This record gives sequence, structure tokens and C-alpha cells, in this order.
Amino acid sequence: MHIDKRLVIEALEQVVLVNDHPAPAIFIQADGVVIQGIRIIQKQGGDESTAVSVQADGVMLKELEIRTHGYGIQLRDAHGGALEGNYIAWDRSQGPSTLGEKGNGIDLYKSSNNLIEQNVIVNMRDGIYLDNSKDLMIADNRIFGSRYGIHCMYVDGTEIVGNIGENNITGAMIMGVRDVIVSSNSFAEQRSNVNSQGILLYDVRDSLVEKNVLEGNRVGIYLERSRQNELSYNSISRNFVGMQFVSAEDNLIHYNDFVGNVIEAEATKSESNQLHQNFWDMAALLDLNDDGVSELSYAINPFYRNLITRIPAFQLFFQSPGIHFLSTMAEQDRQGWTIDPSPGMKLNMPRMDLDADADNNSLPEGTFLIIVASMLLLVSGLTIIYSRGSKE
Amino acid sequence: MMLSDMLLVAKKEIRIGFRNPWAYSFLILFTVFSLSLLLINARYEVSGYSGVTGSMLSLILYLLPLMSLFLGSFSLTAEKEEGSWNLLSTYPLGTSSFILGKYIGLSVVLLTILFFGYGVMGLASGMAGQNFEINTYLLFLFFSCGLVLLFLTLALWIGSLAKNRWQALTVSVMVWFFTVIAWPTLLIAGLGLFPYLWIKPLLTLFTLLNPAEFVRLFVVIKLGGGSVLGPEYYQWVNWIQGSSGSLLFLLLFFFWLLFSLTCVCWIWERRRARV
Repeated sequence: MHIDKRLVIEALEQVVLVNDHPAPAIFIQADGVVIQGIRIIQKQGGDESTAVSVQADGVMLKELEIRTHGYGIQLRDAHGGALEGNYIAWDRSQGPSTLGEKGNGIDLYKSSNNLIEQNVIVNMRDGIYLDNSKDLMIADNRIFGSRYGIHCMYVDGTEIVGNIGENNITGAMIMGVRDVIVSSNSFAEQRSNVNSQGILLYDVRDSLVEKNVLEGNRVGIYLERSRQNELSYNSISRNFVGMQFVSAEDNLIHYNDFVGNVIEAEATKSESNQLHQNFWDMAALLDLNDDGVSELSYAINPFYRNLITRIPAFQLFFQSPGIHFLSTMAEQDRQGWTIDPSPGMKLNMPRMDLDADADNNSLPEGTFLIIVASMLLLVSGLTIIYSRGSKE
Repeated sequence: MMLSDMLLVAKKEIRIGFRNPWAYSFLILFTVFSLSLLLINARYEVSGYSGVTGSMLSLILYLLPLMSLFLGSFSLTAEKEEGSWNLLSTYPLGTSSFILGKYIGLSVVLLTILFFGYGVMGLASGMAGQNFEINTYLLFLFFSCGLVLLFLTLALWIGSLAKNRWQALTVSVMVWFFTVIAWPTLLIAGLGLFPYLWIKPLLTLFTLLNPAEFVRLFVVIKLGGGSVLGPEYYQWVNWIQGSSGSLLFLLLFFFWLLFSLTCVCWIWERRRARV
């Protein structure tokens, strides 16, 4: 379907558009087109094959349901548009496929001032891919099982707010940007891949990363070659490594919560960052003057990170009791370490309790645990009593 | 080898084991320690590989090998010191029945201590309504059992070679220190002397020789933390996470048991011939 006139297409009932050709199912070249509520099945894959292609300004795509064997929605030189409430998923009906074959869910190139809101993207390569575009608003999208949830390359002045990413390789991959706001997103369970992260920031400047929830990732926030950013009020919990800095300088990292991570933070070649009043649950804290700030500083021991940078094979020693022993021997010389001189005594952000349905699920599991535990206790008790009581 | 002889030795071992105050001190130590860890982390859910499970793993790695080494090696040296082995060796009792009986008896004692500790821990967290994932709990239980049974074979080695309890104590502490605490230090220092390309294969080989280390890695991988080991071990991790990984663990486990017990039997058989 090629649209080159200003049209409004609105599906009143179930409308399905099946496309067997590599060309886009819908190709929009007229400004101000509105399309709403259509189901699209794009059967052909291939390089740039896409379900919807937009090359015009002010286009609005709403509540589309797309199953594709290529890309989902492509915007090229398309400004001031809006993508709202769409559902985009990889078409699995043609058998399994590798990441390399897949296309991106929403793919922007040289397309500025667009709004991407409340879309759901499942099993694509990159959920939302933004390239060479400016002043975008990416809000309240949900992305699952893809390579990168949100992938930004050279997008200045963009806001990424309230998105949720789970089980992707990396939640948000943000590279080569300035003046970006990453706020109130939640990235969880990005840990199955050896390169997984919650949020990866590479060559990022003057940006704000705040109030994000990063839970159960391999690395919560990974910051490399980035300067003058502010990271605050993030809740970083249960990750293998909470935060990792590599050659990152002059960043301000404050009021973040680090809870239940296997290693809270690692830093290499990152000496001039300012850390203060973060909450580190493993830190030894002492508040003498009752101002809510510990007088004991918290230092990030770089021993293990330096070791495996030289010889990666030693990653096998991650959190080995012996490595802990060896690292503490290097505690004396703290020059060049990343240090939080004033760790907070309390959580900076209220912890969200597990939601109600999770509690319901855990109830029978809790009883099962009690049963197993009682049986173990019973067996051990009986063994002791029996062996002590028996004569000869 | 007579099965009834073996069971007799095992029964006697269990009875003596529970008269031994050491067994109870370890029982209390393990229970109190695991409860305290739960208390410290009472706010958090215990599942997957996280700070909580990481610290529990460390506790297990510190305490259980030490417990197995002490109880196991003392039991064997006691036989020598108290002269009961001299007496037993005049009876028609096979050496292998004796060693296997000892091993089984000691295993029962050690596993009872574990069951008690885990029982109390599970009950406490279940009653307190803490979110302790059952799979994680069972995984920890199984791997603790594995660790104890493997270190018990090491303990039998020590008990066979040591002349008395003092020697057994010294050697046990040494073995514990080397396998649990000094292990990375030794390997980092030692492997630094080899060419770069040799490091990974050698490290893998040495890891298979240290029960504390391979048990730890299995738990970490099974808890879903395999990706922290980095791209170097990517295929390994994927493979171990599957069912073939459990099979490998079982194979390794039985190989370890078989090899050590055979050697220990051989040592005692030689001594017996000399008596």
C-alpha cells in the first residue's frame, strides 16, 4: 500500500493486511497521514524489508499490530511524527531465526522531533533504534527479548522516560550523545549474555540519568568514556555488578542506592568522578553527627577488575573467597581508587515492594519450603536421637 | 568385601560421631551462622545470583570444608591412636569394608549437621515469610552435600597419612587454607610464569582439581550467574547450565570419590600388610 496523499485510515473492525512481498506493507510519502488500528503481517524478510515505511513529516501511527519478518516501522527523514500504542513482534511462524536475521522494531534515521510512546516490542533485534536524529521523546514503551531495548546513536537532546525493558541483552544502549535525559526507566533481568547491561553509556556527555530501576542485570549501569554526566536517584539492586566505570571522568554520581548486588561497583581509569551520598548496603557506615551521612568513606577496590583486564581468564575467580582475601591485602594504598567520601546511611529512594501478585505466587512456595525444611530437621533429629539411644 | 561388615563399621562411626562434641559445635556454628546471614538479608528476596546468595555461598565455602576435614581426619587418626585399628586388623574385616564403612558413617554425621542447619534456616525464613525461592534453597542444599562429601574424601587422605590428631589438625588447616583462601593467590602467581595462551587451559584443569572451586562455579552458573565469568567461558557456561552440566558434575563427583577412596584403601592395605 503506497500512500502519497494526506489520508486518515482508521480500522473500525478487525482489518488484517498481509504482505507477501519484500516491499513495505504500508509506504507513506505524504505528510500528515494518520493510520490507526490495523493488523499487519509482513512475511518477507531481507535487508531493509519493513512492515511500515515512513518518509514524510507529521505522520501518526497508532495502535497498529505488526508481525514482521523484517523491520517493524522505519522512519527516514520523517519529522514531527508520533508512534503510539503499537505492538511489534517478530514473526515466529516461519521457524526460529538468529539475531542477525532480525530487524529493528522501530527504526529512525535522520528523523527528529518524533514522539514514540506506549509501544510494546517483542523479540526483535533492537527494540527502538535511533540514529542521527534529534529531540525525540521516547516514553512508556515496553521491550522484551530483544538485543538492545533502546539503542541510541548520535541523538542529541532526547528524552527516554518511563520505559520498561526485560530479558534483552542490554536494556538501553546509549552511544555518542549529548544532553540526553534517561529517567524513570526500569531495566531488569538483562543478564543472560556475557555482554549484558541494564544501561550502557558510551561516549555520553552532559546527560542526566536519574530515577531508573536496574534490577537483576549482569551490570546495572555501565559507563565508558563518558564525561560530565549526572547519575542520581537510581535504584541499583541484585545485579552481578551494580555499576561499572571504564575511563569515565568528571561525572557526578550521587544519591543512588546499591542494594544486594554481588559486587557493588567496579572502576578502572576513572579517577576524577565525584561520588557522594550514595547508599551502599555492603559498606561499613558510621554516622557520628547524626546528619544521615557516614563519616567513613566507601572505596571501590579495583584489584579484581585490574586483574581480569590483564588476563581475562581469571574471571573464573569472580567473588571467590580467596579473591576477597587478596583484594583486602591491597587496601592500604588507595591512591587512584574511586571513593565515595560520604556514603548515605539510608536508602535514597523508597524501595518498591514486591507487587501483590508476586506475593500470591510465593505463598504456596513458602509452605513448600517449610515442609521441606521440617522434613530435613526431622530426619536429622531422628538420626541424632536414634544413634545416641542405640546400644551397641 | 562384606556389606554387613561395612554397615557395622558405619553404624559404629555414626554412634561415635554423635558422641563427639565437635559434631555439635559445628552443628551450632553452622546453624547460627546461616540464621544470622538470613537475618542480615531479611529484607531481600533470596533467589538467583545476588548479594545474598553470594554471601551464603562464601559462608558455605568457608565453613563446610573445614568441618569435613576436621571430623573426617580425626576419626581416622583416632583409630590409629586408640589402637582399635590394630585390633580390627587381626579380625577378618576387609580394609575396603572398613574404609567405606568409615566414609558412609562420617557422611551420615556430616549430612545430619547440614540437614539440621538447612532445616532451621528454611523453617525460620518460611515462618518469617521471607521470599526464599525453593529452587535456590534446594540447589544450596545439594551443593553443600556435594562439597561435604568431596572434602570428606580429602579428610580420609589426611587421616590416613597423618600419624596423630595434631598432625591431622595441622594438615587439615593447611589444606583448607590452600583450597579455599589462598587458591586464587597461588594460581595467579603460578600461572603468571606460563605463556599467556596456556593460562586458560591450565586454570580450567586446576579448577577441576579443587572441589571448593568447581562446586562454587557450578552453583554460580546454576544460579544463573554464568555471564559474570565473561566471554572466555561462554560456551562452557551455556553447556553447564543445561542438563549435561549436571551430568558432568555427577561424573566429576563420582570420579573424585572413587579415586580418593581407592587410594585411601590402598594406603591402609599397605599399612596392614606391614603390621
